[in-house]
Amino acid sequence: MTNLKGSVSRRTILRAGAMTGGAAMLGTLPATRLFAQEPEKPSEIIVRAWGGEWVEALKKGVSDPFTEMTGIAVRHDLTEDNEIQPKVWAAVAQNRIPPIHINWDTTTNATKSALRGVTEDLSDLSNLAETTDLAKPVGLEGYPIVNTYGYVYVLAYRPEAFPDGPPTSWKDLLDPKFKGRIALYNDGIGFHFPAQVAGGGSLEGIPDDMGPCWDFVEQMKAQEPLLGEDPDFTAWFQNDEIDAACTISTNALAAKRNGVPIEWTVPVEGCKFDTDGLWIPKGLPENELYWAKQYINFAITAQAQQTWLDGLGLPGVVPGLTPPEGLAGDPSYPTEPEDFEHLIRISSAVQVENESEWFSKFKEIMQG
Amino acid sequence: MTDVTGPEGKRRYPLRWHVMDALEGAAGVLWPRRMAPFTGWLLLAPALLLVAVLVLGMVQIAESSLHTLDRSTFLPSEDYTLENYRTVADSATYLKVIWRSLYGSFLTVVFTLILAFPYSYILVRTNSAFTRKALLVALFLPFFIGQVVRAYGWLIILGNAGLVNDALELIGVERQRLLFSFPTVVFGLVQYMLPFAVLLLAPALTAIPREVETAAGSLGANWARVLWHVVLPMARPGLIGATLVVSTLSLTDFAMPAMLGGGSQDFIANAIYDQFFRTADQGLGSALALLLVAIGSLLVGAIFAAFGAGTLAMGGRE
Repeated sequence: MTNLKGSVSRRTILRAGAMTGGAAMLGTLPATRLFAQEPEKPSEIIVRAWGGEWVEALKKGVSDPFTEMTGIAVRHDLTEDNEIQPKVWAAVAQNRIPPIHINWDTTTNATKSALRGVTEDLSDLSNLAETTDLAKPVGLEGYPIVNTYGYVYVLAYRPEAFPDGPPTSWKDLLDPKFKGRIALYNDGIGFHFPAQVAGGGSLEGIPDDMGPCWDFVEQMKAQEPLLGEDPDFTAWFQNDEIDAACTISTNALAAKRNGVPIEWTVPVEGCKFDTDGLWIPKGLPENELYWAKQYINFAITAQAQQTWLDGLGLPGVVPGLTPPEGLAGDPSYPTEPEDFEHLIRISSAVQVENESEWFSKFKEIMQG
Repeated sequence: MTDVTGPEGKRRYPLRWHVMDALEGAAGVLWPRRMAPFTGWLLLAPALLLVAVLVLGMVQIAESSLHTLDRSTFLPSEDYTLENYRTVADSATYLKVIWRSLYGSFLTVVFTLILAFPYSYILVRTNSAFTRKALLVALFLPFFIGQVVRAYGWLIILGNAGLVNDALELIGVERQRLLFSFPTVVFGLVQYMLPFAVLLLAPALTAIPREVETAAGSLGANWARVLWHVVLPMARPGLIGATLVVSTLSLTDFAMPAMLGGGSQDFIANAIYDQFFRTADQGLGSALALLLVAIGSLLVGAIFAAFGAGTLAMGGRE
């Protein structure tokens, strides 16, 4: 659980900052002196990010405006989220200054770090008051993470491979003509839950009765799917290696924006909905912690969210954002309660507790 | 030697003599003459230090492998247990991955030696300076390109829309899935290992006097018998050295299975990565890492015991 000890002085500083300059921070004032008693500015802050379209969107929507307003340069560290995790954990355990100021992370991964007690509490960010419930991590005390948007693991497909219309079920991928032409994440992330339904099971069976999920994964294994990471999907679609994939809609959107003929859909069994967030590792000097918090505080403003998430094509955590062109009403861009009817959302606590086992089981089937 | 007498009759020595005298004096202070019996150990010290650091790391990994991951706190458990090793032993996946690594390593050694031997032989025996230089350039060029870049090269060449499939289509053959299979991984490994094998074989072949082959030929042996009864036995140290290096590097490889295997052809290193970085289970990752070290050591030990160290013995007694 979140450890709040030692946060009194930080809160004091943060409140002072929020009172005297928080509003100005979100405005368009020049960079040099926003706060009367602001802590010393570091020359830069380091934000871990995913590469490609992801970091470009963050840079345009959050990092560049933040630099413009504060004068603090933002460096993006493109180390994979899974690889930075043990480095941050080791730094905190050894009382070293962590290698990054802010981690842009999946909520599930971030929850592991929160459970380990390496995250700073972010409850005192002034802009949290303006966010929706999606920003709050479920099952954790306070705000060790601030969720910043949601996303859907859609079924992305090449329209020419489906001449009779879009696939309506995940079972459509079992057609022999798709043998070797399907891609999944190499740990099965995003596919476990729809597979549970497609295999004849129910969501209530998660995590205790996942037999139907593994039965369906076995059937999918016979189709010899390719297994990869985010960048692989875009490349595989571009290089005509695959006809369909279970992937985050952002990757499909990126491929489409790059001229690849690709569409996506939410089949009848549903698609996994999840969130990503920002968090700060413990062990930063006070002034750097302050400015790292200000970065996150800015990232959840309507101004930053609109530009950042236009780039990602994802729904944010601030009400009233305008959907990017062509995504209004799209199943990958849920905003209204009815949009979530076919989306599967499982609590982070269940995912964190069982994810390793699910990954291992998926690997066992796919490596067999 | 310069021996110049100055205007006042004093000898003037070259500057480098003074420098050498100063260095010798400093060495005498730092490492007195009475310490001379230990000079060998002094020279070995950096190597021993390096090994000590590695051993310390291994001890830490061994310690880590005896703790399971507590998923309520994501910290290692306090208790010591062999549970991680039991998990590996009970898992059909890990046994399959270990078997695949060993089999892949074996196939890589076989195919690499088959290709490296004639390459090295021509490199050593050719009378054409141009041919030798061309072979050397072709051998060393891949060293300037990292393994990952080379793997990406194969992705481009062997992909569905790649050069090979374009060529196949030109002659009326339907496009084939050439990537993301076990043979593709072995193919990538062989291409990666070939320069290492040639570099280890070439000195052994150079050491075989050309006259020995001529003598065998003059006694009636055809080229096949010369190869079988003369060249191959005399090249044994090179073959053993190449086998040792190629087998251990292939066994522990990460990039080729990851990039050319399409996610379903993992080797042990990929399984270790998954545990450290995907599931945050350092204990299980450490157990797998130690198993990999043990398997590699057993493999090398078995080759040493059966055939000696080959060229890796550096001229010492095998």
